[in-house]
Amino acid sequence: MKRPFPRNSAVDENRIAEWLILFSQYTHSVTTGIIERWLQQFTPRDRDIAARVLDCVHFITNEQILSSFKSTLESLPGWDKDEKRRNGKWRFVPFTASSGESGDSMIHRFRRANNLNFKKYNSLFIYKSDLLLENLNKDDTVVFIDDFSGTGEQAETTWNENLQELLPNEPNIYLVLIATSVIGRTRIENFTKLRVSSSVELTDEDNMFSSHCRHFSSHEKNIIIQYCRKANNLEPKGRGNCGFVIVFAHDCPNNSIPILHAYHNRWRGMFRRNY
Amino acid sequence: MKRKKIHRLAPATIGVKKIPTISLVPNPHNPRMLFDREPLDTLKASIDKVGILVPLTVYWSKEQGKYIILDGQRRWLCAQELDLKEVPVNQVAEPTLVQNIVTMFQIHRLREDWELMPTALKLEVLMRELSEKNDKKLSELTRLDKAVVVRCKKLLSYPKKYQDLMLHPDPTKRVKADFFIELYAVRNDRMVNKMPWFAKEKFTERMLEKYQTKSGGFKAVTDFRLMKQHITNAVNVKKTSAISRRLEEFTNDDNLSMDHLMIKSADVSSSARKLLINVHRLEADINSIDVEEFYGEEDLWKSLEKLISLIRTKLQAAGRRLDK
Repeated sequence: MKRPFPRNSAVDENRIAEWLILFSQYTHSVTTGIIERWLQQFTPRDRDIAARVLDCVHFITNEQILSSFKSTLESLPGWDKDEKRRNGKWRFVPFTASSGESGDSMIHRFRRANNLNFKKYNSLFIYKSDLLLENLNKDDTVVFIDDFSGTGEQAETTWNENLQELLPNEPNIYLVLIATSVIGRTRIENFTKLRVSSSVELTDEDNMFSSHCRHFSSHEKNIIIQYCRKANNLEPKGRGNCGFVIVFAHDCPNNSIPILHAYHNRWRGMFRRNY
Repeated sequence: MKRKKIHRLAPATIGVKKIPTISLVPNPHNPRMLFDREPLDTLKASIDKVGILVPLTVYWSKEQGKYIILDGQRRWLCAQELDLKEVPVNQVAEPTLVQNIVTMFQIHRLREDWELMPTALKLEVLMRELSEKNDKKLSELTRLDKAVVVRCKKLLSYPKKYQDLMLHPDPTKRVKADFFIELYAVRNDRMVNKMPWFAKEKFTERMLEKYQTKSGGFKAVTDFRLMKQHITNAVNVKKTSAISRRLEEFTNDDNLSMDHLMIKSADVSSSARKLLINVHRLEADINSIDVEEFYGEEDLWKSLEKLISLIRTKLQAAGRRLDK
């Protein structure tokens, strides 16, 4: 987790300007007004803690996403842009698919990042429901693409519920992510045949509420959790109790703490989620 | 499909032998890995007493270098739990993809709580590989109920992007197959498809939005039946352009409820048609009454008297002449 400003540092123009630059690419624009309104949701005494939470936000820019997808694909054994030099058949599939959800938009970014956005590469990109007909085997590779896995639970469930049925001949299977957690990656790799590849890996130190996170005292963590409860009483530490403060330029994962993204009458998060 | 072809769908037998329990792996085509605990415990107790009497059916996968279970996964699970070092197996030749899918369909009966899309995708492979589209034949081949085959085919009629929504990793975001099955009747309605504004994909997208956001008057997927009924009622009384306009408005406006599709006169006509069918039935039943035989059925005669009185009242209210 990024180191925040020292306690009681002023929330002045410079600090706000830094946040504005850092968050400038977020899909719903972040302005000075929005930052100020967000801070005002905390009592004057707690605003210093809130500001330090913002300092810690791990913001992944569009450029970082593209570069992550590029380096990840390049690192996968057997891949080559030239079909003749490629090992077996390769297929790229969105891991999640709903109108407007991250899986689909990740595919577009992945194609752009790897210069695969030309018509001649269309056949490489398929739907999950195409997998069985593709009859991929041991020499072939299927790459699922998504942005983030917090706990690995979804990947494990979907593997058991339908993915392994759709890939009966055990091709090489990768789950390419922009970021994951150590817990998520371990769970996925232990309980499924997916191998996880991502540029950013979050550890227990990135969990705001973990004892390994030393940027906030226990007292401060208790204050943060109270606001998190106000933002989302059901999952105050974020989905799967991850307690992360990661935000992508295109969306904020629900594993991040809810004061960042929850958006309703009682709380206005700065990084409103898309879905 | 010819009989000969069906025969070839079963893998050839190689022989019975004993192999180490740990050298077996489940069949990836097995539709579900989870088994009910109670029957599993009964089987385990029986195996513990008398051993495995019926050998497991397995094949050697050249590609994976493993024995794969075709039939007997529950026996194998029990053997593992009982720490049996070896299990008896009947080895058959490695099946083709089609043979494997057919075998799995035949062994593992579809359960109602299973998601239908993976089953539909397997059926798609069979349909393509065997060039078979006939519902009855597919039902015989897979032992799936014919209604299930029809439901699967409805799902397969949707573009892949919609099929993927039924495979979403997050169960809370996964769209139930029932949504697409119920929508099918409206999406493929001949009259709806002739409506000038109608575009299949846009319409599907909008219905999906309304369903997912629980806006626009959607309570349940069965609302599509009501929608279809309103459309049919309107078309039957030649109110096609009116229902077209209302359906377009309903599609685009989240503030309109399903009632917006109800054209009163069309609805009345539909009810009248249904009533007329019942009247004809009752007329035939009453006509067939043998008075002598039913003479002592007091309740029946009293009910008929009540009915005459009711009919009279309704006819008078409608200004009908009763002496006709």
